[in-house]
Amino acid sequence: MNTFHSKLSSKVMASIVAILWLLVLYSVLFLTRVDPQQQMAQKIFYYHVPSAWTAGLSYLLVAIFGIIYLFKKDEKWDHFGYAAAELGTLFCALVLITGPIWAKPIWGSAWSWEPRLTTVLIMFLIYIGYFLLRNFGEVNERMRRISATIGILAFANVPIIYISVKFWNEEAQLHPQPAMGSQPTDVYWTFILSLLTFTFLLIYLFYYRVHVLRLEAELFRKRDGL
Amino acid sequence: MLGFLLKKDLLVEIRSREVVISMIAFGISVTLLYAFAFRPSPELIIVFVPGLIWTLFLFISTLAIHRSHSMEKEFDAFSLMLSAPIDRSTLFVSKSLSCFILLFISQLVLLPIFSLFLQIPSFGKLSQLIGIFFLVDLGISFSGSLISGAVMRARVNEFLLPLLLFPIVTPLMISAVKSTTAIMSSAQISEWKIWFQIILTYDIIFGLLGFLIYDYVTEE
Repeated sequence: MNTFHSKLSSKVMASIVAILWLLVLYSVLFLTRVDPQQQMAQKIFYYHVPSAWTAGLSYLLVAIFGIIYLFKKDEKWDHFGYAAAELGTLFCALVLITGPIWAKPIWGSAWSWEPRLTTVLIMFLIYIGYFLLRNFGEVNERMRRISATIGILAFANVPIIYISVKFWNEEAQLHPQPAMGSQPTDVYWTFILSLLTFTFLLIYLFYYRVHVLRLEAELFRKRDGL
Repeated sequence: MLGFLLKKDLLVEIRSREVVISMIAFGISVTLLYAFAFRPSPELIIVFVPGLIWTLFLFISTLAIHRSHSMEKEFDAFSLMLSAPIDRSTLFVSKSLSCFILLFISQLVLLPIFSLFLQIPSFGKLSQLIGIFFLVDLGISFSGSLISGAVMRARVNEFLLPLLLFPIVTPLMISAVKSTTAIMSSAQISEWKIWFQIILTYDIIFGLLGFLIYDYVTEE
């Protein structure tokens, strides 16, 4: 039986992600310096920021695949959009978990109504609705169109949410804004490596989910005798 | 055609009066709960009123938004309407406008009742407040009609509508609360024009998006 990992390209991809992941872990634990102010809490930055980057990228992809689906009506684009939505929400959850772990010792409270954090939370909630919608109804052509629409709506809303939250709570403690170019080499390269690892992980998981969704669709078609 | 569609929706409402009466009755019940839960104190109430009033309006808006599409499911009226030679974008505008009118009327009725029960000394300049009601209601109606059109055929669509609508209207709610706070404290327009601009941007984006993609959402 041909599984996803029967293909050489999938095996290579999985190996690259595993090696990169170990390299990042080693680099974060042993190669990067301990920040004199934030101590060990700062190290979560190497996972928190790349998670946010991959979540944002995934949601952008959901909107792009959604637009393409509405025009082309090809099931492939729905699979792409749905897989990207799942991964975006997974990485969003990682952002929402790692954020408070860092914020508790640094800001003194686990949550702050900071624009970026709040935008991520709102996107997460919109996508919970998106998945409930897909699970509550039969996944047919109409449902795919609706999913594409919600993906587009959610992404179009991001700048408005961000700006409104920013002005709503101007005194909120903001995310640190380190200029990455001026960071010491160990911090800079570990961060870049982590960013690369998360991007590869996203690509790998994306292809895996698309493969599973395609198999599911084939199974349903065979079941229905189409 | 827009006039006919709007007239149809409003005529159904005038004959049955089910949505506006339900919205007002629900609004009064929630106001009553607010009055019991937050025992009014003239000094404190001004801080909470904008938030309370807009959550109330958002709750009642879901009744109008849900009903505007769910009533079309009876006798499969929506499919018949889609098969008629009507531009779907026009259908979106008519649904949004009918929701908007029902919401706006309910707000005008509920505002004095809310003011009476919670003993609010003043709402500031009424013309500005009504202007904000007008623009925020448009935003709620545009985004609500689009989402309602999308989820109307899903199972448990009555749960899905608020689940999707509430996070999407967050920026609108923030801006509505902030501008109402400013109006109540008689602030200069220049101090809160950013909120007005955000509301306007939201209305334009969701109005345009709805106009462009309602066709895809409701296609058979």
